[in-house]
Amino acid sequence: MYEFQHIAAALYFAAGVGAILGLVLPAPRMLVVARIGLALGALVQALAFATLHRLDPAPALTDLGQAVSVMAWLAVIFGLALIARIQLSGFIPALSFTAFLAAFGATLSQGGGATAVSEASGGVPHAHVLLASAGLAALGLAGLAGLFFLLEHRSLKRRRSVARRIPLPSLEALDRVNRVALALGFPLLTFGVVTGVLWNEARLGQALAGGMHETWTVLAWLIYLGLVGLRFVGRQGARQAAASALAGFAFLVFAVVGVGLVS
Amino acid sequence: MKVVVFGMNHRTAPVEIRERFAVSEVGPVLQKLVDRPEIAEAVLLSTCNRVELVVTTDNPDAAQHALVDFFARELADGALPARTPLREMTYLWHGREAVEHVFRVASAVDSMVVGEPQILGQVKDAYRAATEAGTCGPVLSRLFQRAFSTAKRVKNETGIAERPVSVARVAVLLAKQIFETLESKSALLIGAGDMIEAALVALDDHGLGTRRVVNRTPAHAEGLARRFGGTAHGLDELDRLLPETDVVLACVGGSGPILTRERVEACLRKRQGRPLFLIDIGVPRNIDPAIHELDSAYLYDLDDLQEVAASNEQERRREVERAERIIVEECLHFEGWLVALQAVPTIRDLKRRAEAIRRGELDRFAGRLGLDEPRRELLEQLTRGIVNKLLHAPISRLRDETDREAGLVRLEEARVLFGLDEMPESVEELAAEPEADDGDSESSV
Repeated sequence: MYEFQHIAAALYFAAGVGAILGLVLPAPRMLVVARIGLALGALVQALAFATLHRLDPAPALTDLGQAVSVMAWLAVIFGLALIARIQLSGFIPALSFTAFLAAFGATLSQGGGATAVSEASGGVPHAHVLLASAGLAALGLAGLAGLFFLLEHRSLKRRRSVARRIPLPSLEALDRVNRVALALGFPLLTFGVVTGVLWNEARLGQALAGGMHETWTVLAWLIYLGLVGLRFVGRQGARQAAASALAGFAFLVFAVVGVGLVS
Repeated sequence: MKVVVFGMNHRTAPVEIRERFAVSEVGPVLQKLVDRPEIAEAVLLSTCNRVELVVTTDNPDAAQHALVDFFARELADGALPARTPLREMTYLWHGREAVEHVFRVASAVDSMVVGEPQILGQVKDAYRAATEAGTCGPVLSRLFQRAFSTAKRVKNETGIAERPVSVARVAVLLAKQIFETLESKSALLIGAGDMIEAALVALDDHGLGTRRVVNRTPAHAEGLARRFGGTAHGLDELDRLLPETDVVLACVGGSGPILTRERVEACLRKRQGRPLFLIDIGVPRNIDPAIHELDSAYLYDLDDLQEVAASNEQERRREVERAERIIVEECLHFEGWLVALQAVPTIRDLKRRAEAIRRGELDRFAGRLGLDEPRRELLEQLTRGIVNKLLHAPISRLRDETDREAGLVRLEEARVLFGLDEMPESVEELAAEPEADDGDSESSV
């Protein structure tokens, strides 16, 4: 079953290399091949998830490696959906290599860091992991779009953009990705937090146990609430939105993964 | 058959001389040229940067004189200024150099702006005109087809055409880095001069949405607006139009900037963070440079655009080396084909000579032997077999060698060895030729 993860990782890697070649040469056909490779990788990774339960012992979905892998898989799905609608060729290498690292990393972790899932919790833990991963994936895309936006903005302000060899997507496209991903990611993250609270309730008998993960995640959610408010109500500018999306995602990653590593 | 190129370009002659040789009706000129006995095929390339005659000839020296004469007499429009050193202003290439030159021209390596895309279309037009005039034969057809595929290779395999080198094209590329598409975008043109028009043409090629022309003199604005399907406005409408605009192009006379930081700041607030691209090609500048510091405003003036264009030009020149390698490669292919083509008459002459000898000898002996028809047929087959087997090796060598430089030498040797250039006209004459002395006969002892 881990073979599927390996194949998916290899396909993501090949898609990343193909996309870089496609952009550098430039060879539009290579970019099309890279997109196909990315889609195939996502398909094979879906097969990997579908067959994981056959492993002995089967890795829990709450295992960190698996959760990151699910997140990357969802990011690829969201990314492909956006690429189909918006000119985002410069996005493919970053997405491919992130997915490669996540898929490959999942095969190495094999059960490390899994949280025990009690019978009383029912499907809540899985719903929590899936919703939180989907939220993280979408917000990750928003952060990636934010990063690219800041790079593009900087080079345009320095009047160096035309000399660059690898073309980035246009500012307008990146801002659109940022907006769509934020609009999609925040509700998913919210549901992830809610299901996390429910899981805590079932597991520990209280909604907020005051653990580092819970505290930092709620903080991250509050930050995103502010960002969404600024973006959609406060009419925040595109550059500030890009910087906020990047900073917000960095904080979220720390809250979800980093805190566990530090503590 | 040799390819010869004669002409002048932007490097060898100034525009006031070049324009005198510009040809609008190519067909009749080409007809006149191929009427000359020295010229077999001809193509005339006449653009604003070059006037060139590409011809094929069996006699390059005579063709050279004919071309110089034709150029001065037939192409020159009216009398040339006194003491015009026409010889110094023209160039002549023949053989491989001529082929290379045609490939370099088609690939835009020889252009004033290296890698510019227009020249390939102009070369194609010249080829089409010659084909329609019936002056483009098999050699020039092949040469130009190869030139087009060489240009395609150069474009695809090098970065020679990748980066824009005109101010207008640089502006378009920048616009595409800011906006996903230009189709839904609105342009505001401040001024109605030539510079504005050139930039608008470049933007229009990428399907710009709405165009509004603002000018101090509304009549001028109306002219430009009409040509490009836009609307004309007075300068007093600027503040109203600015928030609805995505691309601002400014080039208008005046001392101070028309667009100040405050004006654009107010506009950006209304645009809710949507980016605004401003191109200032006016001298003195029409847009306050401080606007570039505003978050969603991207301002490029003429110097910025020219700097980008110049650095792109340098990048393109670096790619020329790679383009030259492709051209040499393609040139060798063409030469191989040309030598192969030249082998055809030699092989045909060789076969004809052998067949004439065989037939002459057969007729001579068939009569003496008193052969009936079936026996004569047998003898026919026997002699044909012998001749074919004897010719197989030399013909194969001639064909195999045709893709090398040595092929031409071998062809010449074959013609001398087999006496193909002194071939008698009739079979009788051939049959009467003395037989070969094998060195073993009694007479030689």
